[in-house]
Amino acid sequence: MADITGLRARFATNPSAWRVPVCIGILGIILLALCSIAMPMFLVNNLIRAFLYAAVAVTVDLLWGYTGILTFGQSAFFGIGAYAAGLIFTHAGFSIPLAACALVVGVGAAWIVSRAVGWLAFYQGASPLYASVVTLVLPIVLVQGIYSGGEFTGSSSGLSGFDSFDIPIELWFFIAGTFLVLVAVSGWLFVHSDAGRLLVAIRENEARCEYLGVNVSRHKARLMDVAAIVAAVAGFLFACVQMVVAPEYAGFVFGTELVVWVALGGRGSLIGPIIGTLLIDVGGAYLSGNLPYIWTLLVGVAFVVVIVALPRGLAPLVSTAARWTVQRRRRVEVKPVEFTLAQRRDDEHPGLKTLALSLRGVKKNFGSLKVLDDITFDAKSGELLSLIGPNGAGKSTLMRCIADGSERSSGTIEIGGTDIRKLAPYHCVALGVGRKFQTATVFDSLTVGEALRVARYRVSAPSRWRRDAQLALPQPALDLLRTTGLDQMSDRECRFLSHGQKQALELAMVLALEPHTLLLDEPTAGLTKQERGQIGEIFVALASKYQMCLLLVEHDLEFVQRISSRIIVLHQGRIVLDGGVDEVVQSDLVRAVYAGSQQELKMTESS
Amino acid sequence: MFILGLDVITTAAILFIVSAGLLMVFGVMKIINFSHGSFLTVGGYSSVIVARFGLSWWWSLPVSLAIGFLLGMLVERLIVRPLYARPLDAILATWGLGIIVGQLITLAFGRSVQMVASPINGAMLLFGRPYSIYRLILVGVALFLAVTAGWLFNGTRLGLQTRAVIMNEALARAMGISSSRVRFITFSSGAALAAAAGCLITPLTSVDPNMGVPWVVGAFMLVLLSGSSLLSLAAASLLLGGAQVIVSTFLNPVLGGLTIAVLAALVLRVRPEGFARG
Amino acid sequence: MSKVISLFSPVGARVRVLSVCACVIGSIVNHVAVAADPVKIGVPIGLSGANSVVAPSVVQEGQLAVDEINAKGGILGRQVSLEVADDGSGAAGAQKAFDSLIFDKKVNALISMETSAARNAGLPIVSRGKVPFIYASQYEGHSCNRYMYVDAWVPDQQVAPIVDYFSKQYHAKKYFLIGSDYAFGRGMLDFTKKYIEKSGGQVLAAEYLPMDGSDWTSIISKLQAAKPDALITATAAGAPNVTLTKQLRAAGVKIPYGNLAVDEGTAKSMGADASGIFISGSYVTNIDTPANRTFLAAVEKRFGKDLKTPNDLSVPEYEAIYLYKAAVEKAGSFDTAKVIPALAQVSFEGPRGKIQMNKQRHTPLTMYLGQVQDDGSVKVIASFRDVDPGAQCPDLK
Repeated sequence: MADITGLRARFATNPSAWRVPVCIGILGIILLALCSIAMPMFLVNNLIRAFLYAAVAVTVDLLWGYTGILTFGQSAFFGIGAYAAGLIFTHAGFSIPLAACALVVGVGAAWIVSRAVGWLAFYQGASPLYASVVTLVLPIVLVQGIYSGGEFTGSSSGLSGFDSFDIPIELWFFIAGTFLVLVAVSGWLFVHSDAGRLLVAIRENEARCEYLGVNVSRHKARLMDVAAIVAAVAGFLFACVQMVVAPEYAGFVFGTELVVWVALGGRGSLIGPIIGTLLIDVGGAYLSGNLPYIWTLLVGVAFVVVIVALPRGLAPLVSTAARWTVQRRRRVEVKPVEFTLAQRRDDEHPGLKTLALSLRGVKKNFGSLKVLDDITFDAKSGELLSLIGPNGAGKSTLMRCIADGSERSSGTIEIGGTDIRKLAPYHCVALGVGRKFQTATVFDSLTVGEALRVARYRVSAPSRWRRDAQLALPQPALDLLRTTGLDQMSDRECRFLSHGQKQALELAMVLALEPHTLLLDEPTAGLTKQERGQIGEIFVALASKYQMCLLLVEHDLEFVQRISSRIIVLHQGRIVLDGGVDEVVQSDLVRAVYAGSQQELKMTESS
Repeated sequence: MFILGLDVITTAAILFIVSAGLLMVFGVMKIINFSHGSFLTVGGYSSVIVARFGLSWWWSLPVSLAIGFLLGMLVERLIVRPLYARPLDAILATWGLGIIVGQLITLAFGRSVQMVASPINGAMLLFGRPYSIYRLILVGVALFLAVTAGWLFNGTRLGLQTRAVIMNEALARAMGISSSRVRFITFSSGAALAAAAGCLITPLTSVDPNMGVPWVVGAFMLVLLSGSSLLSLAAASLLLGGAQVIVSTFLNPVLGGLTIAVLAALVLRVRPEGFARG
Repeated sequence: MSKVISLFSPVGARVRVLSVCACVIGSIVNHVAVAADPVKIGVPIGLSGANSVVAPSVVQEGQLAVDEINAKGGILGRQVSLEVADDGSGAAGAQKAFDSLIFDKKVNALISMETSAARNAGLPIVSRGKVPFIYASQYEGHSCNRYMYVDAWVPDQQVAPIVDYFSKQYHAKKYFLIGSDYAFGRGMLDFTKKYIEKSGGQVLAAEYLPMDGSDWTSIISKLQAAKPDALITATAAGAPNVTLTKQLRAAGVKIPYGNLAVDEGTAKSMGADASGIFISGSYVTNIDTPANRTFLAAVEKRFGKDLKTPNDLSVPEYEAIYLYKAAVEKAGSFDTAKVIPALAQVSFEGPRGKIQMNKQRHTPLTMYLGQVQDDGSVKVIASFRDVDPGAQCPDLK
């Protein structure tokens, strides 16, 4: 019962979130039905093609405009869907079961190719340039394959003259238009849902996502799979209505045309690619007959101008009248999110009572340069361990090695008793490590609430089509938000936060992961004296009250002295001292290492 | 077998010449200049212009260098400079530029295939087998290019500044090196080199508005494999160009055309830095 | 259609009535206006793309035919006009061009040359629009459609002259084939291989390069290793022809070389490299017949210094328009159902000789074997009358 009222409450707080696009969609479908009868045949024919192209353009926008994956390869998936239909209808004839079979084959083939592309392009640490390169090579290889297919694939002439569904062209108009409306509405719902915010997060700061436990590679690959399937269905419909398939529909010129349409229409907005495609493709049909070279030249110039000077495309200029579609391209309404307490999950980290961290013989070399040499130590829960040492001692490198299994050159690291081997950052996060970066790394375009929700992805999967009005966070994160006042700013965009607030938000995001080990890289950098005091208390509370193991890299020795329970001194990649606060502070070795009377004085004063 | 070896070496030489300009730009500016193909085309058309004026073909080399340099200056100023921080957008903008240049050339020269008389025709006998003289000359040109570029890079002050910018631009600027000047000169030189390459390949291919397009993807992949080192580019050209020739000869030329692109993508997957040293 | 409307029946009924009224009125108006309307002949052609080099000459021949016909009173008393649309030399562009011509401009017939990809993409639209279509281009053969006729050559007509000449004159027994890997290239060389083997020769190898490939190195090396008596090529038009010829000459290849895919104009512009190449086609400018001489004089007078030399791809357009005129006059109407059968029955004496599309929608042709001379002109060596196109569309009619 409680669940149902909870659900109702959620719908009540966001009534228009999904109703608006769905209503627009239904209106669009009705309009299509009317237009199919009223419009001249020539326009109807052109629009059918343009609708299907626009649906593919929407997938390009999802990949590129929202997630930052520049892809030239969506045309290849379109071509796969089209050729599946063309090949089966040509060689096996046409019937309803065969058509269904062709659809399944097309979608299946597109999915398999997309998995291969995903493996190739989205591996751990792949650069965006490489991903684009792979999507460029894909249509080239596919087209050559089609050319070599001789009479079976129709080679360069394509396949024609096969039978298809015997339905009037007006019905095809309605079908193609409805398909576009479905794709656009689903895309809109997804992009504005909680899960959709992740795309923006990935585009803005992939590394931060990785360290929040998000398996970025898998998300990208999954998105590409969905995009590939949509494009393949569009291709299938295309082959059925046009009754011809040709290699150019699978080629990379078409793939780049899609990118051009998205860029001109406005990337990162779903209506932009649709407008761009319809205007340029249909407009081109009318104009290019009269001036073939000039038209291409004009489009080329417009494209370059848009890329250089107007990255958001022409859609914002065009649609000032349609405020409600484009202006607030990120969300329809910004409802503040309410933060609640999450249920404790005790079974998460076995071995919690024992060692939080265990390092044995960890080494890191850059060529012949030894940055870390034989680092060995253990850390228990509840310990507040500070890592100090002069610049270049290897402190940040050590932090990186603990959070990313592939960083170190040799040695073993165990988190909560589990060997991290060569595990990727998102995996280390799953084992219970949270890393806070030196510079406040948050997601500029997201709000505080959205950023925190990204941090909770690993624990509670977000809705793919709705906006949740509540966000459950663990106690430490809640405490931090309340202390810093961020809990009242859940709808403010991160770019408008002060430096101190960003630091606090990032810490809250890391705490939202429910780590048992916290790696903090110079957390007091840039903080005021008051903020320093605040954060110090928070750290102490995290260690004592919540039994977390905190590992700090710090330069502010006074701060270190005040809050640490243990200090490790690093010098030229080696541990030179590892002991309690007093022991380290009094030590001559430390003074020698830091070499400077200023520090000596400070230390004697406070002892 | 011997002919196969010659084919490999001459193909590698041609690939090296065509890709060198692109490598310069990528190494220094980390931007892929997708309008590289249109610079090749511009170079090819310089030979056409020179032929129309009735001059000997050898004049087209300096002419293409000059035209390429000027065009490169324009492009760098107007298009590449605003996009330093957005490398993916730079790919798109230069691709758009390629389309524009292609259309402009079509409007100016028409779309028909232009003929340029070859400066050196015929074959010479090597061990009883005839082999194209011009292809052999191109091997010499490639070596000359490599040596000159190497000397410029390692032996001159500008080369030193360029190397600094490649390694660490922020630091280089802090040391007083004008990185925008280095980028400007690099891009223009890369464009000039591309134009010269286009002019050099005209005796072997035809001159038409799209002559540069088939070379772009191959050159692009070779450059990704080579990072910023001419030596790596030479190695990549030999290895992948050789693979292309072998696949074309023993399997079929269609697969051969795909070899460079596919092999490069696979190598980069396994070793993202390609042939460049760690 | 009715299924869709019934979903919105209150609105639908009214819409249906209104649209029916509109159609009735519209067609009445249409019929009344018809007598004064010009006859529109649609020309979807590659103004941009691969065919853009040859397109201007095709449009010129078409224009000349139309002008001559109009001067003599038009077709069935109506003046003729030409509607040109760019098909981009490819499938996507062809769909737009055919749509525009058939449904927007409402042409009476389509008469044009195009790439096979463009033709294939346009055929479904032709079937839907029910408009006669005369394909005025040589191609790889076996393309069949209820509404289409072809007045240019197919491999069955073009290959024989060259192969017969090589085996007789040069006693060639061993042949090497090179082509571009696409429908035309493969179609031509497949037929050539069969013909050579049927005539008792031997094909040592058939090598293909991708359509946009320009590096023939490995193929040329194979050629030289195989030591054939003669070479026959069928590459894509334009650049591949030029690159192959250049690289062949650079490598010192001097055996008899028959090129199935080069036209007179390209051969002329290839200069010294092209000298000695054998070409086979249904038209060369040196054809010495009264019809051709009159035609050349007329086209020179009409276009003067803007003239694009007539060639084997543009002259069929001229003749096709006359054939359409003859068919309409024989049928006595522009109605597609009557014009289609009439097209097989009429003939026309044009610059290429007698054209009658009565062999399964294709026409027997006089084929000319020519050799490119040192000055770039083409000397006719032999001619073969009424070469049969073979069984192109056995399932039609």
